[in-house]
Amino acid sequence: MSPAVKRLLYVALLLAAVLGLEFGFDHLVKDAAWRQLALFAMVNVVVALSLNVINGLAGQFSIGHAGFVGIGAYTAAVVAGNVDVRLGPDDLGSVVRLCARLGVQDEVTIHKASDLVKSFAVMPPALLGAAFMASAFGLVVGLPSLRLKGDYLAIVTLGFAEIFRLLIATAQTGGDQQGPISAAIASLGGQNGYAGPLGTGVPQFAGPFWIFGAVALATILAWRIKFSGWGRALRALREDEIAAAAVGVDPTAYKVTSFVIAAAGGGVAGALLASMRDGNPTVQPDQFTFAYSFDAITMVILGGSGSVTGAILGGVFVTFTVKMIEQLQGLDAVQALKAAHPNLDLNALRMVVYAAVLIALMILRPEGLMGERELFRRTRKLGPIGKAPVEPVPVTTGAEAAAAKDPGGEARS
Amino acid sequence: MNTAHPTRPPPKAKAGEVLLSVQALAVAYGGIRAIKKVELEVKRGEIVAMIGANGAGKTTTLKTIMRLCPIAEGKVVYDGRDLADVVTEDVVDAGLSLVPEGRAIFPNLTVRENLELGAWNHRNANAIAETEADVVALFPRLGERMKQEGGTLSGGEQQMLAIGRAMMARPSMLLLDEPSLGIAPRLVADIFEAIARIADTGTTILLVEQNTRLALKYSQRAYVLRTGEIAMSGPSAELAQNDEIKAAYLGG
Repeated sequence: MSPAVKRLLYVALLLAAVLGLEFGFDHLVKDAAWRQLALFAMVNVVVALSLNVINGLAGQFSIGHAGFVGIGAYTAAVVAGNVDVRLGPDDLGSVVRLCARLGVQDEVTIHKASDLVKSFAVMPPALLGAAFMASAFGLVVGLPSLRLKGDYLAIVTLGFAEIFRLLIATAQTGGDQQGPISAAIASLGGQNGYAGPLGTGVPQFAGPFWIFGAVALATILAWRIKFSGWGRALRALREDEIAAAAVGVDPTAYKVTSFVIAAAGGGVAGALLASMRDGNPTVQPDQFTFAYSFDAITMVILGGSGSVTGAILGGVFVTFTVKMIEQLQGLDAVQALKAAHPNLDLNALRMVVYAAVLIALMILRPEGLMGERELFRRTRKLGPIGKAPVEPVPVTTGAEAAAAKDPGGEARS
Repeated sequence: MNTAHPTRPPPKAKAGEVLLSVQALAVAYGGIRAIKKVELEVKRGEIVAMIGANGAGKTTTLKTIMRLCPIAEGKVVYDGRDLADVVTEDVVDAGLSLVPEGRAIFPNLTVRENLELGAWNHRNANAIAETEADVVALFPRLGERMKQEGGTLSGGEQQMLAIGRAMMARPSMLLLDEPSLGIAPRLVADIFEAIARIADTGTTILLVEQNTRLALKYSQRAYVLRTGEIAMSGPSAELAQNDEIKAAYLGG
C-alpha cells in the first residue's frame, strides 16, 4: 500500500470512529454523569496537550493557561450563539426529509442527525474563532514576556489570566456614560456568565464527534510537533538556551511561536468547553480561575512533562481522580462522619485527599507517569550511523602517545 | 570529512588571509569590563590558541564573537563582514560554530538528536547523514551511543558530542572553548587529535584553552590573554620556549 493510500485509510478510520462515537456514546456509557465527565476529561486532554507544548517541550513555565481557555470559551460562545440564532431552533427540513426517505421514523435519531448537520455550520467558525482569538492574545502576551525567564514569566502569565477573568467578572451593564469597550465586555454577562445573544443559553453542539475529533487532531498535532525538527529545537531551548542559540536556533522566535500554538490549543479546548453537549449552558468567569490553570499544570507534570502520552493520561487522570474523590462523599462511612461532625467541610477535605494522591504520585514517580517518553515511538530508519566507522581513529598517534605518557604534566595552571 | 556547507559558499578570504579579526574589543558585564582591549586575528586554515588564567576573558571573547554578549567597544569582523548588528543565528549561518564551555550539550536529547540539531542552519538531509558518519568516524564512541541520552555520556564523550554537534553545521571556522575542561587526560589526547584532524579538512580553528602545553602543541600561533587584554602573542613554538610563559603557565 502506498503511503498516500495508507494515510487516507487512517483518516477514514478515524472519521468512522468519531462518527461512531457520536451515535454510539450514549449506549457505550449509560450513565449521563459519567458521559459528561468523559467528555470533560477529553477537553482537559486538549488543555494538557496544548500546555505541554509550552511547559513541557519549550520548558517555559506558564501558569495562566486558563486565561487562553477562557478567551476561547467566550469567543466560541459568542460566535456559536450568533450562528445558531440565524439557523433557528427547529430541526433542519432537509435532514427531516432525508430521514423520511431513508425510512427513519425515530424522532430522537432525526433530531440527533439534524443537530450533527447543524453542528457543522456552528462548530467550525466557533473553533476557528476561538483558536484565532486565543493565539492573538498568546502573541500579545508572549512577545514581551518570553524575554523573561522562570518565575518572572510565570507571574506575567498568571497576571494575564487573572486580568482577563476579573475584567469580565466585574464588568457591569451601566448607563449611557459607558464607552463602547466596556459595553462590549459587559455584554458578556459579568459574574453571571454569558448565555448566548438571546440569553437562552450557549448552543451545545460539541458532542462526542467534535470533542473526540479535537482530541484526535490535537494528539496528532502534538505528536508531530514533538518529533519534528521544530519540537527538537524547542526541547533544545529548554535544555540550554545558549547552546541552542549557538547551533542557530532563534530562542525568541521559537518560544513565542510555541506560546501562540499553546494558546490556540487552549482556545480550542475553551470552545469545546463552552459548547459541550449537555454541559453548562452559560460561560462563566469562575470556570477559568487560577485553580483551573493549576489543574492544567498538574495534568502536564503528573503525566510527564514533555510527553504527549503523558499529557493525555494526566488529563484523564486528574479529571477522574477529582470526580472519584467526590464520589467518596456518597459512602455510608463518610455520610456517618458528616452526621457526627456537622462542622466538617467535606469539600475542603476532598482537596486534602486530592493533594495526598498528588504527593504520593510525585514521590513514587517524580518525573511523572511517562517521564518524557511515549507509549509508542515511531522507529526511525537508521542512516549511515548504524554501520561501523569506515576508518577508526588510530588508538595511538604520536602526539597522543606523548600526552598519554605524561598525564600528570597536563595539570591545568 | 566533508566540510563544505550545502548552500553557503566558502569564505572570500583565501588560505592564509585574515578570516576573523577582533579589533580593540571591549565587553562589559553591568559596568565591569570583562575584556578591555582584545586584538586578534585568525587566518584561514590556521589553528590559533588563546591561553590565559581564569577570568582573563577568554570565554567572553568567544561568546562575543558569536554575538552571545553585547559589544561595548571595538569590532568583530568575520570574512570582511562586521558582526556588530548580526544575531547569533546569523553568525552560525555565516559559518562560525561554537563548542561552548563545559560542553553544554542537550542532556535529555539523544546523541543523534543533539547532532541533528547542530545541522539546524542547513537541515540538508544528505549533508546531515554525511557529517554524522564523519563525526562517528572521528569519534567512534559516539556511534555506539546514538540512541542514548546526551546526559548519560561521560564528560569526554559529551565533549566529543559537543564538537560533533558544532561540526554538523559545516562551519568554516570552529571556536572551541576549553575542550579539555574536566576530562580524563587519556580522552583529552583523543579530543586534541580530533581537533587536528578537523583542521586538516580546512576548517579554521580558534581554540581557547587553559591547558597551555597542549594548546601550544596543537596550534600554529597563540595569544596570551591577561586581565582582559592581550599580553603576548606569537608563533606557538616560540611562546612555548618563552621564559615568562614557562613560569606562569607551564609550571616552570
